[in-house]
Amino acid sequence: MKNKKQIPAFFSRCFRWFCRKDLYEELQGDLEETFYNNVKTHGLSFARKKYRYEVFKLIRPSVVGRNNPGIYTLNRYGMFRHNLLITYRNFRRFKASFFINLIGLSTGIACALLIFLWVNDELSIDRFHKNGSQLYQVMEHSEEAGYITTSRSTAGPIGAALAEEMPEVVAAATALRMGNSNYTLSVNDRDMKASGLYVSADYFKLFSYELIQGQEDLVLSDKKSMVISEDLAMALFGTTKNVIGEVVEWEHEKQFSVSGVFRNIAANSSVRFDFALSFEGFSDEHEWVTNWYNSSPKTYVLLREGTDIDQFNSKIVDLIRDKTEGKASHRSPFITSYADAYLYNHYENGQQAGGRIEYVWLFSVVALFILLIACINFMNLSTARASRRMREIGVKKVMGANRGTLVLQYLGESTAMALLSLVVALVFVAVFLPQFNLITEKQLSLDFNVILILSLLGMVLFTGLMAGSYPALYLSGFSPNMVLKGKSGNFMGELWARKGLVIIQFTLSVILIVSVWVVYKQVEFVQTKNLGYEKDNIIFFRKEGLLWEKEKFKTFLLELKNIPGVIDASALAHNMTGHYFSTYAVNWAGKDPEDRTSFENITVDYGMMALLGIEMKAGRGFSEAFGADTTKIIFNEAAIEFMGLKDPIGKIVKLYGEEKEIIGIAKDFHFESFHEQVKPLFFRLTPRFTTNVMAKIEAGKEQETVNNLRQFYQTFNPGFPFDYKFLDSEYQALYAAEKRVAILSRYFAVLAVLISCLGLFGLAAFTAERRLKEIGIRKILGSSEIGIFYLLSGDFTKMVLVAILIALPLSYYLTGQWLENFAFHIDLEWWLFVSSGVLALLIAWLTVGIHTFKASRANPVDCLKDE
Amino acid sequence: MKGSYLGEFQEIVLLAVLVLDDNAYGVAIQEELGRRIGRNISRGALHSALSRLEAKSFLESEMGGATAERGGRQKRFYFLTNLGKKALVDAEQLRRQFYNSLPGLSLDFSM
Repeated sequence: MKNKKQIPAFFSRCFRWFCRKDLYEELQGDLEETFYNNVKTHGLSFARKKYRYEVFKLIRPSVVGRNNPGIYTLNRYGMFRHNLLITYRNFRRFKASFFINLIGLSTGIACALLIFLWVNDELSIDRFHKNGSQLYQVMEHSEEAGYITTSRSTAGPIGAALAEEMPEVVAAATALRMGNSNYTLSVNDRDMKASGLYVSADYFKLFSYELIQGQEDLVLSDKKSMVISEDLAMALFGTTKNVIGEVVEWEHEKQFSVSGVFRNIAANSSVRFDFALSFEGFSDEHEWVTNWYNSSPKTYVLLREGTDIDQFNSKIVDLIRDKTEGKASHRSPFITSYADAYLYNHYENGQQAGGRIEYVWLFSVVALFILLIACINFMNLSTARASRRMREIGVKKVMGANRGTLVLQYLGESTAMALLSLVVALVFVAVFLPQFNLITEKQLSLDFNVILILSLLGMVLFTGLMAGSYPALYLSGFSPNMVLKGKSGNFMGELWARKGLVIIQFTLSVILIVSVWVVYKQVEFVQTKNLGYEKDNIIFFRKEGLLWEKEKFKTFLLELKNIPGVIDASALAHNMTGHYFSTYAVNWAGKDPEDRTSFENITVDYGMMALLGIEMKAGRGFSEAFGADTTKIIFNEAAIEFMGLKDPIGKIVKLYGEEKEIIGIAKDFHFESFHEQVKPLFFRLTPRFTTNVMAKIEAGKEQETVNNLRQFYQTFNPGFPFDYKFLDSEYQALYAAEKRVAILSRYFAVLAVLISCLGLFGLAAFTAERRLKEIGIRKILGSSEIGIFYLLSGDFTKMVLVAILIALPLSYYLTGQWLENFAFHIDLEWWLFVSSGVLALLIAWLTVGIHTFKASRANPVDCLKDE
Repeated sequence: MKGSYLGEFQEIVLLAVLVLDDNAYGVAIQEELGRRIGRNISRGALHSALSRLEAKSFLESEMGGATAERGGRQKRFYFLTNLGKKALVDAEQLRRQFYNSLPGLSLDFSM
């Protein structure tokens, strides 16, 4: 033994490492014996050499292998069954924790699943086009007063020019939607409204709107042709077969012949239309769309594969300047991936700045939070209950279970829990999906395709591992020696971990509470704030048919005003809910000739401003009493301020080169969403250029008045179905995204708080139960119920307070960031944060209170009588 | 017969185990073989032979007899089973049959 050191240590260790455990005893024994024999007979160095040689010769399959089956093999199947049985028994034994975990995890998974479906859908939008990766949208940066605005409207001729002049462009397409694009279509005296889009000839070649009749490159080669959707074909002809060549009357004005039918546009397309007409045909009749100064149509290009986008962008940046001989110097076109354009739709001063993708991220994070909160419940309850299972672990370890086996067992347990929860979650999702679709305005469904099933399994695995990791490592780490003696290891560490987890849970919950509150406040602010004009009870519809005739239209307005229920009526060329039409062809004394700031142009008829309740700051509105008001102009305050005009009433400005006299200043009002500052704007009076009729109707008589209006409209303007909108609902639609976020985040926040409380509830129950004897003794020694109550809830109070302290600054920062998106937003007030904190604390107290109260009321005799 | 085929080295190992009687364990067998064959057999080679013989049920083994010079480790003693003994006898007989049927002069080295 004293010579043991002389055995080559490295080889000895190697051998120990590679040798099968069941052979080691015999072989190492033999090797050592031979070694010492050799030392005696041949000397040390020979023996060492021999030993190395022998070890080397022992590297053979029958000897090597740590995990070779042998006497230490586990019966995997048997263990699996055993673990399953133990899991089942544990679920049954601790029913309360089981249900808390089940409800928590299944709610968490259901939320995550719903969000997953939504996110998946958002990510799929516009990605179904076969040319997808090579399809680009042409956009324009436009510099106005030092700020770059970015828009998707492009110059009409740019598509054709790009296709012709740039070798990288395989094809280009232009699409134009005119204002309210619902047109009247008629076949055999049957009239209906359908949404139309003017598209250039190559449109169906670029985009994969599948044609079931007609050929992609030919359908719009004729300027008199029309491509219709399946649904529209059904509505017009009652069939989708053999409709090619049928004639459809458009606005009782022109005839188009059907040249193709496309499959109804899938829900994941951001562009929707019922029929398409030839853009080339439109350009023939509307000269403005062919010049480079205007920007209205959307343009898309298909690039050759491998085209360098940055390089291409630098090639086209001066295109508009070149084409307009430097006159439209402020506009720089560029292209961006069409598939990404939907998600990355927001630009700030010429830089891409998120957009819808932010909401995708936001909700993904919320899903993760909720799942995390649910997992923390599982962790806390399992570790808290660990003391009940310590003997099981001790015995297993003594019987030879190693740590890996135990870790596997607990991970298996949590994964089984997650799997069960998934089943419940699927039921939840199936039940709530219609409601969810209603809120998100999507058509999500649970189709069990490979991707969904894999994602579900992924979710289960993720949840199982996340929830099970800490308990597994914690429980399997017990020393059997300590456990079987009845001592419970590192109690302090465990307690801290549990407290930490509760703090994380409540931090997340408080952040969610604050965020939801702020979002709610902002949405409420946006919807109730005085816009500077009255949007309620105003109905509007497009001028069509006879209304385009000047004298007829005058009569129409007069008669309209006489309809019972109609208070006032007028016309304008704007929709009051966003940028509609603007121009920089406004000139005034002292204007910087380089300035290209657009003024919003609202062309109105007499009485329009009064109808909208737009207040005048100075001067007067347009009035027939003064005659010849067509040479007058009214600016808003922002415009006057921008122009820097002192004492503006009576001054002359030039609009499109014509002199106009300023007769009034309108108070600023919001004609765009609250994301935008109020921009310079002017009103001009040109009744024949108005496109929309607006009528103010009596509140409370909407249905009746609309019926009267419809009757009147149909007799006055036969052949045109009455298609109207309410201004306030159009206005609400501006904030659809925010409203959706508001509603969804409210639900998710409530769920997150509920799940957190569920966990707290379980923990409180457990603590109260564990400390029952302590409570009994304290009561016997004279402690009051209040004292006990304080004792038990103190810990939780501290945890929640810490969570609130962490959460408030975080939520202040996060909500502040979100509000930055709005040019007009609420202030973050301190009381909002304080109330959120107090709310969280109250909820926590309520949750803990039930058990604590019960425990403090317990009769000490009951808790102390049996040991 | 493949399963019970006895290779030459395996036959010798079996014989060595038989010769060593009660003391047939790794080192002893290795030394016995070394002495008789005249060259050293590696423990690894011996292990292979022994484990194959055990797998064919020609040998059985049992642990025991730890000594200090082996670091207190137990030895594994090998015994022939009846099947092992029969295999030796069969091999011997097979050989004898061949020898007996040789023509007289074939083994005359003196030629």
